Amino acid sequence: MMHSLIQLSIAVLLLPLLSFVVLIFFNRRLPRGGDFVGLGLLGTSLAISLYIFWNVIVQHYDPAFSVAWNFTWLDFGNVPGVGPLQIKMGIVIDNLTAIMLAMVNLISFLVHLYSTGYMHGEKYYGRFFAYLGIFTFSMFGIVLSDNLFSIYIFWELVGLSSYLLIGFYFHKDSAADAQKKAFLTNRIGDIGMWLGILILYSQFHTFGYQEIFDHIKNGDFHMSQAWLTAAGVLLFMGCVGKSAQFPLHVWLPDAMEGPTPVSALIHAATMVAAGVYFVGRIFVILTPDALHVIAFIGAFTAFMAATIAITQHDIKRVLAYSTVSQLGYMVLGLGVGAYSAALFHLLTHAFFKACLFLGSGAIIHAMHHEQDMRWMGGLYKKMPWTFATFMTATLALAGLPLTSGFLSKDAILAGALGFASVEGGGIFYLIPALGFGAAVLTAFYMGRQIWLVFFGESRTHLKPAEEHGHDAHAAHGHDDHHHEVHEVAWNMRLPLVVLATLSVFIVFSPDPLDGGKGWFMHLIQTPATVVASTGAAHEGAGLHVPEAGKLLAEAHTDTQHVEAAASHEAEGHGPVFADPRQAEIAHMTHENHYTAIKLSSIMVVIGIGMALIFYVFRFIDPDKTAQAIRPLYLYSFNKWYWDEIYDATFIKGSILISKILAWFDTNIVDGIVNGVATIFRKFAFANGSFDKYVVDGLVNFTAFTVQTTGAVFRKVQTGKVQTYLVMVVVAVLGYFAFYLVHLMK
Amino acid sequence: MLTEQLLSIGVNHFLTISVILFALGMFAVMTRKNAIVILMGVELILNAANINFLTFSKYNGGMEGVMFSLFVIVLAAAEAAVALAIVINIFKTFKTVDVSSVDTLKE
Repeated sequence: MMHSLIQLSIAVLLLPLLSFVVLIFFNRRLPRGGDFVGLGLLGTSLAISLYIFWNVIVQHYDPAFSVAWNFTWLDFGNVPGVGPLQIKMGIVIDNLTAIMLAMVNLISFLVHLYSTGYMHGEKYYGRFFAYLGIFTFSMFGIVLSDNLFSIYIFWELVGLSSYLLIGFYFHKDSAADAQKKAFLTNRIGDIGMWLGILILYSQFHTFGYQEIFDHIKNGDFHMSQAWLTAAGVLLFMGCVGKSAQFPLHVWLPDAMEGPTPVSALIHAATMVAAGVYFVGRIFVILTPDALHVIAFIGAFTAFMAATIAITQHDIKRVLAYSTVSQLGYMVLGLGVGAYSAALFHLLTHAFFKACLFLGSGAIIHAMHHEQDMRWMGGLYKKMPWTFATFMTATLALAGLPLTSGFLSKDAILAGALGFASVEGGGIFYLIPALGFGAAVLTAFYMGRQIWLVFFGESRTHLKPAEEHGHDAHAAHGHDDHHHEVHEVAWNMRLPLVVLATLSVFIVFSPDPLDGGKGWFMHLIQTPATVVASTGAAHEGAGLHVPEAGKLLAEAHTDTQHVEAAASHEAEGHGPVFADPRQAEIAHMTHENHYTAIKLSSIMVVIGIGMALIFYVFRFIDPDKTAQAIRPLYLYSFNKWYWDEIYDATFIKGSILISKILAWFDTNIVDGIVNGVATIFRKFAFANGSFDKYVVDGLVNFTAFTVQTTGAVFRKVQTGKVQTYLVMVVVAVLGYFAFYLVHLMK
Repeated sequence: MLTEQLLSIGVNHFLTISVILFALGMFAVMTRKNAIVILMGVELILNAANINFLTFSKYNGGMEGVMFSLFVIVLAAAEAAVALAIVINIFKTFKTVDVSSVDTLKE
């Protein structure tokens, strides 16, 4: 019996697919390129998603809410060497799913609406909506999946739709290169993810999340803990690829070659968040070692991307690096165990970053495809709506109080501080330090962007002529070269307003300083890990692991801790954990909450202050500063030279290996093949000679003998009856003669 | 005397005649070219056989030889009819009754 929510979610899943199928085949025959089909179907699924959200989040309001349904998709029976192989497909709806579903669907719908304005007049207008449809379908698939196998399928589908959308302007070489880069970079992560899935499958013979969690909880993982760590890190590699974490972050900035609504939908709000969502799903099986890896990668990514963002000129590239940086925050949050904070940031970031991207799209649209911030300026009077919404989202991104970004970023930083103090300081303090550093930089580069784009004098005329001509040529459908900048139409304004509204604190929490009091943190609570804590877990611990873990927890827990846990519970800040490490981190996170608020507010103020000093009041000239610290400036401007490093190592390396292998192929492998062929030819020649002279000789000799004998005996056959008769008579007489001679003896 | 002479004619005399007759018939069959003459030779051979039958019948005292020779005569008549028909057919086909020129059996 299927739960009604499951039925509804299947409808939500399939409507965008229907939109894709209709539009990909019929977009040229439908009026307006069929955009109303995409909008209508997405609107319908949005209504259903919001109903699911209402039902699950508002009506149930239960942290443990979960509905699941699955069926056996493929049954291979007992496969030799593998064991029973059954692949199930299923849907699980819990709070996280309901929230993600509504978020993805809302942003997707708004992007559809926005695209009717932004993409107007494009040659492949209808196809664009078809691609958006299949992307939304795959994203829903990721969100709804209840097992690793089906999420992997949708994962690849998302990669495909991202590929199609990045390369939407496929006639441009840069877009074609970017789409390939994105796809291949993602593949690297996906291979790791698949290996991780296979490690878990080899142990449990199932792909289902819940079954895997239960198995690990029961101590059915019979390999050493290192393998579980490896599985966690490998699964995390999928996230590294898709969520653009170091070292696979290089594809995301290049993906800005896609149309801006795509950047908003895929490369800011949803697809890149899929990696974080996935790590959140498998969070409970991550070992402390795996979490450390995740935390360090996240922290490094957050900081590194932020340093790059401060020097970029392209408005979308700044936002792209900002996205990488914020995704680093989320990954950092998961790594330090601040599960709910990370997913909270995922949600808030999705709204304000989508708003920023759509806002930048509006600016680019109004500026006739000008993306370079150096030639903008003074837009706030001409585009008041865009300015207001962009400003709101910027404040949220910078993490200013009263915004949603503040709530979630602060929660992550508190988690990072708590984590560092539990892990015993030292190198682990690097994680919150990098987090706070990134917060400063975020405020700085967003302040810089706001100033360059909206304030000051218009610098359009400063643009060098040849660059100008090239760009005007590249602009589509804007043959009239009037440079009158004006506010965008309502269908592009409305999404901005909706998204900006969702970037305000009140949507998520009644207290502007504490996201923990909001509905999100209540519904999405850090789940208890199923991995036995390090002390008790070793190979062969088997079924006793959970008990051992509990015993350890009790032994470890001093009175102060119990009190803390009790007060913790009373304040409604999540569950008490059996795992001592988790409990400790939760406790310390709570302790560090106000420190984090203070520190992060200071950081934001410093960042904005710096932006003001450099760009608004111009106490210090940014260009001169850049000259003064030229090596550092170039290091940031050239994105830490990651592309060059990869080009020099992996790409050149691959080419070198390919060349070596090609040489090996042509000389060694072909040589062996040719050598064998020569031997066979010689052998065949000998064989042929034997056939020709010996076998054929025998055959011919037989024939010759028979022929000769026949020629002799043919003479006897005269055909005359009388001759035969004579022979008979001679024979009879001969017989008698013989008989008589015999008789006489 | 004559009777004695007659009585002195014994088995060997009859058989001798039979052999001579058979040999003549055989000679005719083997050497003559004309198919009719060959048939005549065959008749001689059959009659040589008849003489043998009758001879042995007389000296053995039974009637089986007589009966058999009667059958042979009938058979010879039938054989002559069939053989002449064959000869006529050969003539029709080859426009000759010379058996030495009829050698299509070798093909």
